[in-house]
Amino acid sequence: MARLIRTEKEVEGRFEEVWLVVEEDPLEQWPEGPLTVVGRPAPRQDGALRVRGEARYTADIKLPGMLHAAVLRSPHAHARVRRIDLAPALELPGVRAAIGPGEAHGLEEEAGWAGAPVAAVAADTFAQARAAVDAIAVEWEELEVVLDPEEAVRRGLVTAEARRSERGDVDRAFAEADVVVEATYRTQTVLHNSLETHQATCEWQGDALHVYISTQYIWGIRKEVAETLGLPEDRVRVVCEFMGGGFGSKNSPDEYTFVAAELAKRTGRPVRCALTRREEHTSAGNRNSTIQRLRAGARSDGTIVALDGEFTNSVGWSGWSAPTEGPMRALYACENVRTVTHAAQLNTPPMKAFRAPGFAEGTFGLECLIEELAARLDIDPLELRRSNYAESNEGTPFSSKNLEDCYRMAEPHWERRHEVRARSDSVWKRGVGMASQIWYGGGGPPSYAWVRLGSNGRATVVTAMQDIGTGTRTAMAQIAAEELRVPLENVEVVLGDSARGPYASISAGSSTTPSMGPAVRAAAADAREQIEDIAEQRGLPKDTPVEEVVGLLEESQILGKGARGPNPTGMSVLTFGVHVVEVAVDVETGEVRVERVAAIHDVGRIVNPLGASSQVEGGVIQGIGHTLSEERLLDPETGRVLTTSLDAYRMPTIADVPEIVCEFVDKPDEHLTNLGSKGLGEPPIVPIAAAIANAIRDATGAEVHELPISREEMLRALRDAAKKEPRGAPAAV
Amino acid sequence: MELLRPSSVEELDGGVVVHGGTEVVPLLREGLLEAERLVDVRGVVPRGVQEGVIGAGTTLAELEVEPAIPEALREACRLAASPQLRSMGSLGGNLLQATRCWYWRLGYRCRLHGGDRCHAREGEHREHAIFANDFCASAHPSDVAAALVALGARLRTNRRELEIEELYRLPDDGDRRTTTLEDGELILEVELPPVEASAYLKAMDRKRWAFPQVGVAAARHAGGSTRIALAGVAPIPWRIESADELDKATPLPRTEWKVPLAQALVRRALAAIE
Repeated sequence: MARLIRTEKEVEGRFEEVWLVVEEDPLEQWPEGPLTVVGRPAPRQDGALRVRGEARYTADIKLPGMLHAAVLRSPHAHARVRRIDLAPALELPGVRAAIGPGEAHGLEEEAGWAGAPVAAVAADTFAQARAAVDAIAVEWEELEVVLDPEEAVRRGLVTAEARRSERGDVDRAFAEADVVVEATYRTQTVLHNSLETHQATCEWQGDALHVYISTQYIWGIRKEVAETLGLPEDRVRVVCEFMGGGFGSKNSPDEYTFVAAELAKRTGRPVRCALTRREEHTSAGNRNSTIQRLRAGARSDGTIVALDGEFTNSVGWSGWSAPTEGPMRALYACENVRTVTHAAQLNTPPMKAFRAPGFAEGTFGLECLIEELAARLDIDPLELRRSNYAESNEGTPFSSKNLEDCYRMAEPHWERRHEVRARSDSVWKRGVGMASQIWYGGGGPPSYAWVRLGSNGRATVVTAMQDIGTGTRTAMAQIAAEELRVPLENVEVVLGDSARGPYASISAGSSTTPSMGPAVRAAAADAREQIEDIAEQRGLPKDTPVEEVVGLLEESQILGKGARGPNPTGMSVLTFGVHVVEVAVDVETGEVRVERVAAIHDVGRIVNPLGASSQVEGGVIQGIGHTLSEERLLDPETGRVLTTSLDAYRMPTIADVPEIVCEFVDKPDEHLTNLGSKGLGEPPIVPIAAAIANAIRDATGAEVHELPISREEMLRALRDAAKKEPRGAPAAV
Repeated sequence: MELLRPSSVEELDGGVVVHGGTEVVPLLREGLLEAERLVDVRGVVPRGVQEGVIGAGTTLAELEVEPAIPEALREACRLAASPQLRSMGSLGGNLLQATRCWYWRLGYRCRLHGGDRCHAREGEHREHAIFANDFCASAHPSDVAAALVALGARLRTNRRELEIEELYRLPDDGDRRTTTLEDGELILEVELPPVEASAYLKAMDRKRWAFPQVGVAAARHAGGSTRIALAGVAPIPWRIESADELDKATPLPRTEWKVPLAQALVRRALAAIE
């Protein structure tokens, strides 16, 4: 039965109160452990399609008569258009239309960063559109450029008020602490670099707009495009069948969608607007840099009594202030915690959510500080973490928390440190480090799915969700197959089109499986009940194979529908984990090699162990890039991005990938839905940087304070460590 | 734009020379190089290795598995770029590649582009030079060039023979070029004197497919003399007489880290050829 509730909805650590109609979720959870299909490794159903090049991505959409758009972007980090002349562009060959500031949502007169969209052209080819954009004459009024986040905060240039939180009496707790450690950590700006660049192709059919877009949120695009263009939502159809990655950067439509829609309207032709790789580096969002001034106090027995953090998010021109303070508030039991988080508005490209925004950065700072504390207290880092175990989230009980199991599973990996250290020589120092992970990932309602079953016993799951490359199709098929008791290969999942299925969750905030999985199971259970009814009417036993029961239906179909039930009231749904990393550091050249990563995560029930380990490997590899080699650099004078190409912006290559061991607690969250599964997209990127930094410290005694841990930073840390220690003394802490 | 495919040196008549295209094509695409005429010289430039003479058209992929060349050159080729790029890129082209300085690549009007300032010196220069960086702080990206300088290679062009070190020049106010190659001049062959031992060591910020942060080539020549050359430390491949010369480096604030790195690599390279 449907029920109207007022509830808190969380995406990427952002909460809002919403009214929802939720449906009861009467299904009992399946028993723990691998079932017939769920919990067993299944290769991606669309894997062959993808590697054969047959999967149709947004970038592959070629509509008859389609034009190509190019966008004029501000060369200045802060400037206003005084005068703009589109006429020279319109005179060039192949050009069909040109629009300026105010003529499409996102094209603005004031450019707040170098790369901000200002005008756009549609032409027969992209090269013609590009040439036409270059011909647009703009007279700029240059404005003051602010690039320093601390200066911005001092001057009140912020995108939001500072976020403050405090519990207990922090000052008194520090005064009474036996040991106090403090340090400043800095993290850099990194880029998502999705394989498929941000893009949309728009086509008007009468008064209806069809939007083919590379997106993580079909229904969010539909709503935002409809609202912005003043259309009824059902006049906007959004399609994304295959997607080349988003990592948080493709949750909203952005200027390219509105440019394509407007130019399509003006020309009467479909228009594609796709960012180039260069634009992807200047104008598609980023994980913003942070400054974290942290302090921790503890009693000599290892009880953490006080935590204090001042965080500065360099948000950029726009964007939101990610919960960088989140780990400090929630990871450990500590009665006295105070945080303040500033949101600096700068003339730099806007931030966008990036795989555990805030928590990836904040965990680096906090978990390095905890390591420092362990060293000062002379307590084993694993023991220190265990002895400050949080039993609730600032007073709210967890729906489930099995971090203890993660720590127990980490023991054999942590034990290896003696043997790893012993393999050090005069040049290569080896060590082991760890860091814990906390993050959201509970998903939530609403989300719906339909299941259609024919007389051949084959089932189709229909839901207008998106598979952003994470293996969602396969996981949903597994859940349906398990509930319907049909073989996995008999289930097909149809998704990726708002005109072809009910509302479905955003694929962000590690929410796809926990939001969609229960809806798919509910729909399959609805169909299953009908099948059992038919079996009963035919006098067949309940467990008669499905195809036998429905075999005489001919053209009749069994239609099941299901909805995602509510999240548990009064409980905090979070994910947990721990990474144990082995590194080798060349102490003469500052080279850091990550040799082994053991990634242990507690995300409830694992639907597809193969897909889950892929997610962990992807997160770890992306995290290694963030830890060691990636950084978006700006010219300090002009604020322009300098690392606009993939040779200047250095992501890890396959040669940089270490041995990765994935382990899961795999215990269903008994309070969370009919599935008991949480999300896994983001957790694996959260602890990796701190675990690497702590392994470096274990190996060399050097304390790194900045990401990326470039050779410059590594050599600095080694030099500082050498100054502290008498020459010849053992380097390890 | 026209594309010519001459089959002999005599047919050469202006235009922008392209061999593997791994450098020229991106420069054309970025508008850093303009060409009405492209001249594909693959039919002109010798390819292959014969008795100490290497055709300048030999690809890096061929050289990285070539037993008849010194270790330093083989290793410099092996550690350069990616397999795809090494399959296309030629030895001659590699010697002539432009700097990776982001200001230059983005078309800032820097000194190498005829302007009157080096943007990197006051700006973002963490990957830049520690020697001869007063006028232009760019760092020469070629692993292969450093190896050839250490190996004492001689080049034959369609007009002259020269020491590899004579190919390079530091840019100055009067002439912004970093090579002495003239218009219409084409590197045809590279000749290597015999060496007793050689090595190339390279620091990168990831394991593969990166330009050198610092590259060090060292070679022990007949008669016991040793030559050391560095990549990634000066606007051109940089030869030093001994490790002590690194003490005289003039790093920028954010390139100081390259000095101890270079010292460590030079020490190791010298040990490797002992």
